[in-house]
Amino acid sequence: MSPEESSAHPNPHRFQKRGFSYEQAIKYFFASNAGLTIVILAMIIIFLLKEGLGFFPGYQRELEVYRVAGLEFVDISRKNLTAHEQLSSVLNRAYYAEINGQSFRQMRRSQEASALFNSYTDQTGATRDLVLNNSRAAGDPNSEMLAALNANFETQKAKALSSLPPTPHLTAQERTSLIESIRARAIESTEDPPLVTTLAGEFAAAQQKFAEPLQGMRATIDAFAAAGADLSSLVSDMTATVTATKEKIQGADILEKDRKTLLAAAASARDPVEREKLISEAKASLADKPDIEGPIQTLLEHRPDCVRLHTALKETSGGILNQLPITLTQPEAARLLKVARNTWPLFIADLEKTPAAINAWKHDAPVPLTSAISSFLTGKDWVTGGEWQDFYGILPLAAGSLMISIVALSLAIPTSIGAAIYINQYASNWEQSIVKPVIEFIQAIPSVVLGFIGILVLGTVLRDISLLDSLHWVPGFPLTERLNIFTAGCLLALMSIPTIFSLAEDALNNVPSAYAEASEALGASRVQTTFRVVVPAAFSGILAAVLLGFGRVIGETMVVLLVAGNRIKIPDFSAGLGTFFQPCHTLTGIIAQELGEVPMGSVHYRALFVVGILLFAVVLTINATAHRFVNKMKH
Amino acid sequence: MQTAIQIQNVSFAYGSKQVLHDVSMDIPARQITAFIGPSGCGKSTLLRCFNRINDRIPGAHLTAGSILVHDIDINRRDIDLQELRRRIGMVFQKYNPFAKSIYENVAFSLRVEGRTKRSELDGVVENALRNAALWDEVKDRLHASAFGLSGGQQQRLCIARAIANQPDILLMDEPCAALDPLATLKIEELLMELKKQYTIIIVTHNMGQATRCSDKTAFMYLGKLIEYGPTMQLFENPQNPQTEAYVTGTFG
Ligand SMILES: Nc1ncnc2c1ncn2[C@@H]1O[C@H](COP(=O)(O)OP(=O)(O)O)[C@@H](O)[C@H]1O
Ligand SMILES: [Mg+2]
Repeated sequence: MSPEESSAHPNPHRFQKRGFSYEQAIKYFFASNAGLTIVILAMIIIFLLKEGLGFFPGYQRELEVYRVAGLEFVDISRKNLTAHEQLSSVLNRAYYAEINGQSFRQMRRSQEASALFNSYTDQTGATRDLVLNNSRAAGDPNSEMLAALNANFETQKAKALSSLPPTPHLTAQERTSLIESIRARAIESTEDPPLVTTLAGEFAAAQQKFAEPLQGMRATIDAFAAAGADLSSLVSDMTATVTATKEKIQGADILEKDRKTLLAAAASARDPVEREKLISEAKASLADKPDIEGPIQTLLEHRPDCVRLHTALKETSGGILNQLPITLTQPEAARLLKVARNTWPLFIADLEKTPAAINAWKHDAPVPLTSAISSFLTGKDWVTGGEWQDFYGILPLAAGSLMISIVALSLAIPTSIGAAIYINQYASNWEQSIVKPVIEFIQAIPSVVLGFIGILVLGTVLRDISLLDSLHWVPGFPLTERLNIFTAGCLLALMSIPTIFSLAEDALNNVPSAYAEASEALGASRVQTTFRVVVPAAFSGILAAVLLGFGRVIGETMVVLLVAGNRIKIPDFSAGLGTFFQPCHTLTGIIAQELGEVPMGSVHYRALFVVGILLFAVVLTINATAHRFVNKMKH
Repeated sequence: MQTAIQIQNVSFAYGSKQVLHDVSMDIPARQITAFIGPSGCGKSTLLRCFNRINDRIPGAHLTAGSILVHDIDINRRDIDLQELRRRIGMVFQKYNPFAKSIYENVAFSLRVEGRTKRSELDGVVENALRNAALWDEVKDRLHASAFGLSGGQQQRLCIARAIANQPDILLMDEPCAALDPLATLKIEELLMELKKQYTIIIVTHNMGQATRCSDKTAFMYLGKLIEYGPTMQLFENPQNPQTEAYVTGTFG
């Protein structure tokens, strides 16, 4: 046998491997599946980064335009103007809170009477219209039909009268007389029942009576509000100028972009004729550099005016504080007044600094990329699609997500860990066999259904509860917003309970029973054993459970979109615990809500991707930390 | 001689599974009594009846008879289980210190009793560790985790933990089963010391250990007590042919 032959057909030895085996095929099949998930994950990350990272240069350009066109200059004044308006509004709210608080009884009586009457008209309105329209119909009113309609109306009326809302502030007698007057009402009458009118009158009278001693305050507030008028009109003037400049620059930017696209197409075009055509088109669309120096100079001519008006506003505002009452009798009014008093020095200090800022402002100062990044990460405004200027500051969204998580976790942690401890340590077998599946069943409820329940049931019930007089002391009650941080937090708590419960229960279960046995053999009671031995031993596992619950809460979208109230604003923390009853928007919600509507490739579109990347990073970090805890527990 | 535990016609079942049948014996105070017998014959079950730790297992119950510790029936309704267990320490087959420091492991039984005075605890911990012949090895790292110790040390820590509160009786369920011969030897030496203060009952698979350490030995088989007597007599002159077969190794 020649050497070549032997190498081509080597002599099989006893343990010769024979080709591609069935087992190897199976192995490769599973390996390729695992590999595929990794490849897909990598592709997702690359896609996110590719779409997202373009955001920062784009945003940088927007901020540059914001400066060059002078919008930034106007905003220096506008910021103070807004603060001024907010302060006036707080003072006004304090004023009305004082009056309405004092005339609270009359207000409620009037509201309840109208609510009762409205409930009646809502229920019977449609049938009433039918009757009226048909009896008015010219010619031959079909008497049979009319009778039927009338009968229908009567049944509707009876039904409505038997399901009227409660009126806790009306006496039984008043209620009866009101219902009687409604019952006796002529069908075509359009007047309110006498009691409704009377009570409205009483309320107005009470308001007037309580407003009497507050006349000084009213005048002060009005004077303060009026003090901003001049600055306000100057700002509107300047606004018109800078908006025009901005539009010009943006138009030029678009042309420039088109030109670049044409040139790129020309560079890759093979046919020379085609290329020539593209290049000439590009040349034609070459924009004139818009004149920005001219408008800016006009704008800067307002500088002295601006400074003067600010100084005047500061002067007036400084005196206002002393003319306001020291405090008010109603808690809500007193709180608002205190808020105004506390923010006053800040407002004055801002006004004080403004002239220097106005004089120092330069339209040609460069905008570095870092300022785009920091304006994204620390920006207090998320404003999009507005006429003035878009800002992509993530703080309002992050604050919303965080506040909701705080509510959700502070409800879910005690509940689910308590349940896990009970089920694991004390529950009998049948209790376990009921509670565990029930808690896990919560997970099966689609989040959109939960959101639905949240709006219809939780939001409404909570608002109704908040109207109870006996709960007036609760911060934030009565609720002004039906959908708020708290409602969203409650539902997310419900959603995260199964996660935290199951994982915490697993962690407790993984504690060797030898620990508990040793503890009891040493004379510890069941409770001591649970809390001194079992729970500490499971601690890192429980922490991991909480973290994964947090990850679930932060990443949840549907419920917050439906229930959080979607107001893009950093919550007003001056309301104390009442802050939790304000609406908010979230990192997840904003993506879900806006991504469908933004033009692809725009700065706004990319901003949403960056939010997504951020969210991804946060959840990834949380999960990684949780896994570290789990591994720690396994020793 | 004083009797520490009297076992009178005890039958015991896990649910419907009868495990002990009519066991009767008297266990003397301040001596070492060994339980021997093939796996699954009920040695651990019997031992675990003495501090009623079997109560933890759902369905486990005494079906007949009674157990008297210092002349008190421990299955009476008005028994304070925690007090009973304070009087009867237990050491398990697999060493199981808590995920706490060495110090806190030993102090555990006092803490759960509500005794938290630092000076008292310090004394008790030192004393228990000395009695468990562990003090010299751990005195510099009392507040380090118990998991840093070797297996033998961890088991001695468990012994220290069990005797910290000065019980009268010490139950040991195959305390050396998870240890190497050297660590086993150390524990056996320790037993000879502890015997002076405690009534010790030890379950063992190791007949050498029974002959070396115990004063009396009980041989169990299939949930029944086959033979019980002074260790020397049981090994050298067994009365029952089953015992003889077991101790000579021709069993089965
Ligand atoms: N928790 C339990 N539930 C049910 N049966 C058990 C339980 N523990 C032990 N047994 C049974 O009781 C019998 C005696 O067990 P055990 O006392 O552990 O024997 P030994 O310690 O002598 O090896 C064995 O048949 C065992 O299967
Ligand atoms: Mg055993």
